[in-house]
Amino acid sequence: MKLLSLPERLGLISYRNQAKSDIKPHILVDTDICNSTCPHKCTTYVCPANCYTKDENGKVHFQVEDCIECGTCMYACDQGAVSWEFPDPEIGRGVTWNYG
Amino acid sequence: MDEKFDCIIVGAGVAGLGAAMTLARNNMKFLLIEKGEFPGAKNVSGGVLWGNDLAKLVPNYWEEDAGWDRFINHRRLTFMDEQSTFSVDFKSSHFNEPPYTGVVVLRSKFDRWLADKVQEAIDASDYAMDSFIAPNILVEEILLEDDKAVGIKAGGDEFYSDSVILAEGVNNLLTRQVGLQDKYVPADHMLTGVKEIIRYDQKVLEDRFQLNGKSGMSNEFVGYATNGVEGGGFLYTNKDTISIGLVLGLKDLREKEQKPHDILNEFKKHPVIADTIRGGEVVEYSAHIVSSGDKRVMPKQLYKAGLVVCGEAANLLLNAGKAIQGMDYAMRSGILAAETITEAKKAGDFGESAMKKYQDTLENSYIMKDINNFQDAVHLLHDPVMTQKMPNLICDFGRNFFSIKNEPTPKSREMLKGAIKRHASYWELIKLGAKGAKAL
Repeated sequence: MKLLSLPERLGLISYRNQAKSDIKPHILVDTDICNSTCPHKCTTYVCPANCYTKDENGKVHFQVEDCIECGTCMYACDQGAVSWEFPDPEIGRGVTWNYG
Repeated sequence: MDEKFDCIIVGAGVAGLGAAMTLARNNMKFLLIEKGEFPGAKNVSGGVLWGNDLAKLVPNYWEEDAGWDRFINHRRLTFMDEQSTFSVDFKSSHFNEPPYTGVVVLRSKFDRWLADKVQEAIDASDYAMDSFIAPNILVEEILLEDDKAVGIKAGGDEFYSDSVILAEGVNNLLTRQVGLQDKYVPADHMLTGVKEIIRYDQKVLEDRFQLNGKSGMSNEFVGYATNGVEGGGFLYTNKDTISIGLVLGLKDLREKEQKPHDILNEFKKHPVIADTIRGGEVVEYSAHIVSSGDKRVMPKQLYKAGLVVCGEAANLLLNAGKAIQGMDYAMRSGILAAETITEAKKAGDFGESAMKKYQDTLENSYIMKDINNFQDAVHLLHDPVMTQKMPNLICDFGRNFFSIKNEPTPKSREMLKGAIKRHASYWELIKLGAKGAKAL
């Protein structure tokens, strides 16, 4: 069977408050830490939703829109750069699983 | 709300719902709060619910078509190298009669169904108008007075209760807030699970996996499945879908610089897996952290004055090689938590020593007995000899054993010797055998 790319996979997910353009992010990342002292920048590969990316200069960027609340980055980041909360049901993002 | 509850339960997963059902039946006034749109909306599992506690919560659940997907009467453990699989396969009609010893569930459906059953129990209780299941509310904080839990804060409002049951799942921020878990939990003993739900025509699914009526299969994988990262794979048959995925040691994933979603595609590309899953349509991709069952990282104390912690929030999970047990632990611990709270209400004492009874009963239950007894098995399953070399060795042996050539066939013992030589050493196997004998 055809293998799906990550964007195709994320496209199957029902996110909350998708109509709202101005959501309150439930994860805050101090990318200054990622881009100065972090030796591995591991969130850019361990995150199952690819919310953390590296640009052409190797700098780490974070976006919360695709987050599926799995928790991986909260444990994987051992540099203290990730502040993790659950999304607000009214004004946050996050998921509603159809199967789960 | 001015009224005080006997108990507030945080989280409507398997643990929270098990607790709520028990409280409702014991005529307790409680509030069950869930952050998702409905119970189950944010929950992900493999997943098989093992054992038969479900029959205690919902007697004769098997007479209904709703909620659960299939009962398990077919188990398979598969060792895998790059080209081959070698399986231990067990199927028996012994498992065909209810109460079943394992049912496959999809949490978005199962938890919602179980919550409806809890609502029925609430309606039949003395507090039909005063106990609530409240979805769509995020608990921000546990309210403490003199280090005793007295309620919760959510959406800026405060709700008060004599007790709190934390059933918030593995990402246990509130358990950390009340000081029962470290603020930062390292990756060392956590795993990331990734999964796809693949849909088939139901008849195709049933024929392909030899399913009959509501029977189902569970298959676990060790070896190539995880592409050198510690962990394993799984495949479970649902009603007209399969759940296929991996659990990957997070520390190892970090060190080996691998992407979980890429490894999942490699797993699906494996020739044997590709044959097995062909023709389906992926309908959901999901991921979630899961704890490893290693006692070293579990919260040591699961209670404080006015509060108990159950399910994955307490890291109650075990994979000792036979099955991945987590949901059954969640259900039982939720029931035990609610029983402790009920007794505390009768005695009018929700202090620390009253709450300690929960941990005492948990220690004496099969949950902590198994977790304590099988710690060596947990360590063994994370040993690279077991997760990488053994599957390669077994598949190498299988390939030779099952190759029929028109030439003299060596004795199996010689084949095994050769396979061992190519993939490991006798010394490693002796060590592994000794560990295994002790662990299992």
